Amino acid sequence: MPSTVRHAAGGMAVPIGSVVFAFLVGGVIVAATGGDPLSAYAGLLCGGFGLACANGENTALQLSTTIVFFIPLIMTGVAVALPFRAGLFNIGAEGQLLAGSVACTVIGVKFNTLPAPILLPMVLVGGALAGALWAGIAGVLKATIGAHEVVTTIMLNYVAQWLVRFLIVGGPLQLPHGFSVSSPIGAGARLPTFLPNDNSLIIFGLPAGVYRVHTGLLIALAALAVFAFLLWRTSLGYEIRAVGQSQRAARYAGINVPRTIIVTMLIAGAFSGLAGAIQIAGVDHNLSDKFFNDTTGFDAIAVALLGLGSAVGILLASILFGALHAGGSVMQADAGISSSLVQVLQALILFSIAANFLRVLGGRFRRRPAAPASQAPGAALMTEAAKAPPGDGQT
Amino acid sequence: MGHSRLKFLGMVGLALMLLAACGSSPAPASKTYKIGLVTDTGGLNDKSFNHLADVGLEKAKTDFKVQGDVVESHSGDDYVPNLTHFATLNYDLVIGVGFLMATAVGTVSGQFPNIHFAIIDGAGTDANGVDLKHPNVQSLYFSEQDAGAMVGVIAGMLEKEGKSKKTQHVISAVGGISIPPVNHYIAGYKWAATMEDPSIKVLVGYSNDFTDPAKCKNVANNQISAKSDILFQVAGGCGLGVLQAAGQAGVYSIGVDADQKDSDPSVIASALKKVDVATYTAIKNVVNGQFTAGALTFNIANDGAGYALDNITLPADIQTELDNVKAKIKAGTLTPPSDIPA
Repeated sequence: MPSTVRHAAGGMAVPIGSVVFAFLVGGVIVAATGGDPLSAYAGLLCGGFGLACANGENTALQLSTTIVFFIPLIMTGVAVALPFRAGLFNIGAEGQLLAGSVACTVIGVKFNTLPAPILLPMVLVGGALAGALWAGIAGVLKATIGAHEVVTTIMLNYVAQWLVRFLIVGGPLQLPHGFSVSSPIGAGARLPTFLPNDNSLIIFGLPAGVYRVHTGLLIALAALAVFAFLLWRTSLGYEIRAVGQSQRAARYAGINVPRTIIVTMLIAGAFSGLAGAIQIAGVDHNLSDKFFNDTTGFDAIAVALLGLGSAVGILLASILFGALHAGGSVMQADAGISSSLVQVLQALILFSIAANFLRVLGGRFRRRPAAPASQAPGAALMTEAAKAPPGDGQT
Repeated sequence: MGHSRLKFLGMVGLALMLLAACGSSPAPASKTYKIGLVTDTGGLNDKSFNHLADVGLEKAKTDFKVQGDVVESHSGDDYVPNLTHFATLNYDLVIGVGFLMATAVGTVSGQFPNIHFAIIDGAGTDANGVDLKHPNVQSLYFSEQDAGAMVGVIAGMLEKEGKSKKTQHVISAVGGISIPPVNHYIAGYKWAATMEDPSIKVLVGYSNDFTDPAKCKNVANNQISAKSDILFQVAGGCGLGVLQAAGQAGVYSIGVDADQKDSDPSVIASALKKVDVATYTAIKNVVNGQFTAGALTFNIANDGAGYALDNITLPADIQTELDNVKAKIKAGTLTPPSDIPA
């Protein structure tokens, strides 16, 4: 067996093990509370992937819903995974996403008469820049005065949430006579859906408008490719990984560590900001109170960890989390088991990964007691679990 | 391989569910009506709208041949998929709880013109908040001013007779955000209190929030320092802070929407919006083939709004006056205003 394959298999043991563990414990919880684990998971499977549906749910619709849910997870997952590689724990993907959605909404509403070829790039780039700016604050603070990015990004999440609240509750973006929603963005700022939004057109037995899969999917997949390319095929990616392995060694090798930290955060924020912009441009079309308690940027941390910070891993983990999100409702409707079980499963996955990375961390310290203490635990996991990515040797 | 195993699991689940279905339902003689309820992000245990809607659904299940299914929304992202889920499965009525779902109901009802929708406190709107007036959407509205007037009578009478804790002839209301349902409550409250005690001063403040109790507590404490004796919270979960602030300051408070007797000992009464009655009525209409599009308003006359007496024993004359005003509003000889009087 080639060593890369063996290595990949070994690397995947942890995430797959955590998912299996979560589903087993989740099943026990369902059974202990008087539910039927098998029908619960059948509901999740139906809701997430449209498979084995008991009540004739539409497979295409379920897949479409899952995809809509996982698009922002991919983008924010990248925004968490990239800083991990540099030894930075970006808890602020949510705040950066909000900054991006605010920028997208402001531009999309202000210039709502512009045609799509001009306005759509404007809102997407605007969202990415706003996210980059938001994360950049934490990056600059970390690089210059050493303020810990965990603290600053968490605080910036709150700032962003309250900014959204200010803007749409009695603030300048509020829809006249509306309540806690902004005006809708112009038609030119909207990402098209793959199927026409035409209710008279019947596709797979349902009006075409119900399939909300939008072209943001292509952007998300492109973002994954950019992430992988940046990390493994560019000198910046090399610097990011070097800083993540050991800042001291990186500095000794002539890498400008503060600059790398700032650039990493800027790029991560851009991914997150773009996620927010895509969510507005592709699905919501306005800023609403749902963003007060949106958790995409936090789920992204679990996605990045579960995906071991690799592009393929993030894709798979996003699909899983998107399917869980979509499946929860169907499970509750069909099997009568509260869709909160989905949150339980997600938390169990995160928990078991965290428990595992403690073990990994312990192993590190035992083997190499001189490991730099300033390194974030997540980064330790990343470097341990993905030591030899495919093709790295050739660069 | 993993795929086929998943499929197998699914098939097992399917078989189990079929078995369960066979066991529980005897051969149906007449049609079983399928009702789908979608909660907002408050979830079923919000002790308020969503809970009451579920109570109405459960009552309908015992009274009619109804299969009721509930899906909780965990974020605003879930509204459209959850409503769509029931619509694609040809449910006879899909109920959305709360005005937060207005746009989602507007969108989905347009895609499924043959499915009946009902929405509590809202209408099916477009992104600009304009009612699309789809012929398959019923809006379940409430005359909050009726409920507000009943607790206003209590507050006004207590002040007039010097039976409140301090009797400074000042009462107040803490609104969440200045939107029609909130202002309806406050309008009825102020109108009725002033009717009973013309010398009364009614303070009105807003927290600009429906969830954070600390915010409402601030507004409430300001009103208490401005000598408010009785505080009426009209701010949902945020308003729990009002009830606590009143309890700590030793004055009375009034709850909203659901009976909030247990939230704080200071709660003397609650203004009720009977979402359970509205949900039950909407289901009953569908079962009887009497679904109507447009607004259906619930008020004191049809027992869709009212009050509950909580941690207080009212003097007999106040109770008499309450019954008197209630009868007059029912009969239409008294009409509480829907806009806050000056």
